[in-house]
Amino acid sequence: MSKIMTVDILSSIKGAQPSETVNTLFEVIKNANTSSNSFNDQHHNAVFLDELRDDVVLDSSPIEKQLIIENFPKEKNGFLVVSKVIEE
Amino acid sequence: MESQIHQIHQQLVSEEITCLSLVQERLRLLNTNKHATVNSLLEKSAIELAKKVDAKITSGQKIGLLEGIPFGIKDVYMLQGTYTSASSNFLKKYKSPYTATAIQKLIDAGAIPIVKENCDSFGHGSSSENTIFGAVKNAINPALVGGGSSGGSAVNVAKDLTVFSIGGDTGGSVRQPAGYNKVYGLKPTYGRISRFGLMAYASSTDCVGPIAKSIEDIRIVLNEISGKDTKDQTTYSSEKISKEAISTASEIKTVGYFKNFLETEVIDPKIKLDFFATIDKIKEKGIVVKALDFFEPDTLVSTYYTLAMAETASNLSRLDGTNYGHRIEGDTLKDSYSITRSENFSEETKRRIVGGNQVLSQGFSDEIYLKGLSVRDQIAKSFENDFKEVDIIISPVTPNTPPKIGASLKDPLAMYLSDAYTVGFSLGQLPTLTVPQGTQTGLQVTAAKNNDELVFKFANFLKDII
Repeated sequence: MSKIMTVDILSSIKGAQPSETVNTLFEVIKNANTSSNSFNDQHHNAVFLDELRDDVVLDSSPIEKQLIIENFPKEKNGFLVVSKVIEE
Repeated sequence: MESQIHQIHQQLVSEEITCLSLVQERLRLLNTNKHATVNSLLEKSAIELAKKVDAKITSGQKIGLLEGIPFGIKDVYMLQGTYTSASSNFLKKYKSPYTATAIQKLIDAGAIPIVKENCDSFGHGSSSENTIFGAVKNAINPALVGGGSSGGSAVNVAKDLTVFSIGGDTGGSVRQPAGYNKVYGLKPTYGRISRFGLMAYASSTDCVGPIAKSIEDIRIVLNEISGKDTKDQTTYSSEKISKEAISTASEIKTVGYFKNFLETEVIDPKIKLDFFATIDKIKEKGIVVKALDFFEPDTLVSTYYTLAMAETASNLSRLDGTNYGHRIEGDTLKDSYSITRSENFSEETKRRIVGGNQVLSQGFSDEIYLKGLSVRDQIAKSFENDFKEVDIIISPVTPNTPPKIGASLKDPLAMYLSDAYTVGFSLGQLPTLTVPQGTQTGLQVTAAKNNDELVFKFANFLKDII
């Protein structure tokens, strides 16, 4: 079920349009000479399994929790209010 | 300019000045400065910390080298309890719940954060005009831009409002403003300093970068904030760089430069002339200088922006007004998201998010995004080969001198192209230092990956010969 999505929907930005300036940059990369289109021979940024951090839940400090609550955009009667739920 | 950190440390230890008077004076200067460098002052906490340092000195206790040194923070770093706006409308009232690793390390060493500094919103810009706090004005000529995106940080250092500042460099955001304001600015090897607590722009090139007035101060700060961090799994362990180790550059036998950076018509003739005058001085010292082939500047800029936009579109998708930030309610949840994002993001940020979603979408990703990754690999390979032939690469920081305030906003393409000499080293994840010498906007000194020490050695050498 493919559905064509425009950039304003993809970006969640009302009325967003592709920019001519940015398209100019993309044209350069489309026309750039590359020896190959593969990108799998240089990637050494992966982390070894042994170096992964422990999968533990760290409790936030009371001040951190307080600041997270302060940052919440809306509060009513002691509850944090989210926007309306998705209807579809 | 010798080390301000050492100088102030001596003044504090000998009780020539108090830490409180030092901090109060810097806060006053920041508060009254006309360069629009300040997003918020950290007055209360800074004064409390300064008093503690004074009490320690008065009671005869020893203090560390960074203890009591006032510094600035680009407003994209988390510092618990402080506003962290990213110079955006979206996060104007956002308070950091936690502190970035690099900043915490400085605080643990006793340095005192005094200001959150103006910058381009989310790091999106090369002039520090894309900000809700007003365009940052250049330290030398206020009619010109301060550079970006870490413009406020570079200007604060240049004007002696902070002793050093912590900027962030994704495609040149520390090096270019350092050059525009004639101070030192380092982009270390990617992964040397933890990015934890730095608001993500393009995660694969984001680097924490110190800005200061001397090589020595950059070295001191770099040593303090480097190191492996489990909260950023791209970090690695590194040795401290000693003052003695960088006092000689005798091991540097060959220096390279990219000839196509100089053969382009867009370079300012004076910058070109000054660059070659520096090359001559290097040759006079018996160092072999090689002209190297490299990618065309427009290919570098396009590759960088293609990848950076894709990454920022993903990173900023979290900003929808649900859990934090300025939410604007719509009729439906999707409406709330899109109204919130369209009203709160700046034009430049929206341009980059839309561009990023374009390149990541089906039908475009192969010919743009994947090709960008492929070019990036070739750039990295090209650097590997270059560093088999030369020890150091030097280049101008920018093709031109700083534009007038307002010019970059009218011509975004010109702004993107102004990053032509900095983005390649970001894509290669290489250590690169801007030194405020050699051309009107300085020189970049680059070494092979993980060889940050060699950059310092050559910078010291340049300081003596130019």
